[in-house]
Amino acid sequence: MSARNHEQWNAQPKLQSGEWVDSKIYSDEEIFEEELEKIWKQTWIPVCHESELKNAYDFRTMTIAREPVIVVRGKDMKVRAFLNVCPHRGNMIERRPSGSFAKSTPSGTPKTMTCMFHAWQFDMKGKCVNITRKEEGYQDRLCESDVGLRELKSEVYFGGFIWVSLNDNINQTVEEFAAGALDSLAPSVNEEPLEVFHYHKAIIDCNYKLWHDTNCEFYHDYLHYHNRITGFNDEYFARKNTGFTGGHVNVGSFEVQYENYEGFHSREELSFPHLPANQWYMIDMFPGVNFNLRGSALRSDIMTPLGPNKVMIEFRGLGLASDSPKDRKIRIDHHNSIWGPFGRNLCEDLIAVTGQGAAMQSGSESRQILHGRHENETIHDENGMRHYYEEWGRWVGRSPSHPDQPFVEPVETA
Amino acid sequence: MAVNSAETTEKIKSLIYKTCLYQDDCEWKNWLDFCSEDFNYYIRAYSPEIQKDMEYMGGPKEYMESITGQLRKHNIDDSPLKRHGVVYRVDVADDNKSATAVTSLTVFQTLLGGNSSHVDSGTTGIFLVGRYNDKFVIDGDDVKFIEREVRLDTRRLDKGTHWPI
Repeated sequence: MSARNHEQWNAQPKLQSGEWVDSKIYSDEEIFEEELEKIWKQTWIPVCHESELKNAYDFRTMTIAREPVIVVRGKDMKVRAFLNVCPHRGNMIERRPSGSFAKSTPSGTPKTMTCMFHAWQFDMKGKCVNITRKEEGYQDRLCESDVGLRELKSEVYFGGFIWVSLNDNINQTVEEFAAGALDSLAPSVNEEPLEVFHYHKAIIDCNYKLWHDTNCEFYHDYLHYHNRITGFNDEYFARKNTGFTGGHVNVGSFEVQYENYEGFHSREELSFPHLPANQWYMIDMFPGVNFNLRGSALRSDIMTPLGPNKVMIEFRGLGLASDSPKDRKIRIDHHNSIWGPFGRNLCEDLIAVTGQGAAMQSGSESRQILHGRHENETIHDENGMRHYYEEWGRWVGRSPSHPDQPFVEPVETA
Repeated sequence: MAVNSAETTEKIKSLIYKTCLYQDDCEWKNWLDFCSEDFNYYIRAYSPEIQKDMEYMGGPKEYMESITGQLRKHNIDDSPLKRHGVVYRVDVADDNKSATAVTSLTVFQTLLGGNSSHVDSGTTGIFLVGRYNDKFVIDGDDVKFIEREVRLDTRRLDKGTHWPI
């Protein structure tokens, strides 16, 4: 058989269950809404890094599953997260991406979060401290203690990332949620404080899981001239994909030969603590977070799904807070020459996944997306994606291969 | 007080515009031929998100020659970029040996493939907004770039690009 007709094209692949997914999971509105409710509103999401809120009264704003979130550092230097919504009329309290509440705002006094609309004020612990003209309007029917902000679960974990959950009843710490997936890099990122030096965002037309897939599988290194020339060797092909409870995946390391790309050099001089020279680890966290350490620079991708075929990816680059200006400059060059918006690799990945998005947009015919490569769980094995989608099925309650059917736990084979 | 030579100012404006055309046409060598051997290139932006000045790209002339020389080996977005620059200010040093210039910059992208070429090709949108902050060395009639800082306002760059701006 060469090219196939419609019936042949739609026939079930000659692969085992779990070795392909139906493209409907990347394009269906109903499934997308279920994912927001059943996954994104239930789990831990890293929203920013603690170096973005260095001082008391600093804040950062973001969203999780369309819910506005604000993270603030209190006078006690503790980081807390709240719904960024005024309990009065539902206005977003703070619109800036970052800043400080140490100084007054046009509607409010210093050291408070003030809703500009009617000047209700809240302290850094989310307690309402002022309802304007309270007695005149509410008499004794409503007081400040009735209208505090909604506090969200939050933790600082893994090199200073701030994790937030919309789920008050989440029964795991971030460490328990990570289930060991972060352990390979923990000594390197926890040895001393880190600092964010790079931020940019991409909003692209593809499902968030397609970006996560691209981070999970390295078979696509054929896309990247840089990776082929600096990588493809025996050590590269021996890298292991290891799955962890919860759908997380860790891609093992090897020594990158940066000097094989003209104009690039070894990153040995600025390796992260405890990391051998020019190593490259990748950790993919369910449902859409990636940590990527290329020796001298840590990259994080934090996804915010915006629709079945639209995702925002926030890219951060991190170095050591103790960096000298000279070392920081080198780290920035190392990071952005590959992963910046003008780097050698990142735009190639983004071009590829938007091609997938265009071919799988809402309303298009279902396609079978193959995840069936088996190479002893090494770098071009697709076990990382299979592991992820098994977990996805559990959370959503749908079979990834047949999303109109319920998820069934795979049978363990001896 | 600096005395601007009208002739030098015009020469600098002409050089900026001419090299914009070379860059638009991806004639990187022709652009870099107007850069001195000590040339450095930077793309920078301030991030209100992390409250830091960032450097998205940077390197000396040799690096720029190297990465532009390897573009054919990369899977690049071929959607053409067109620079619309207006030179707002040129300041020539008193000794007429150096100068600086500020150019307001908008870069338009006309999609070739886009996400789906059937739908998107031919669509023009703003790719980025910023400024060129340029420095020049002047040796008699010869004017060359010694530094270009592309200072971006735009930080949502979506697919980005392999090409220098």
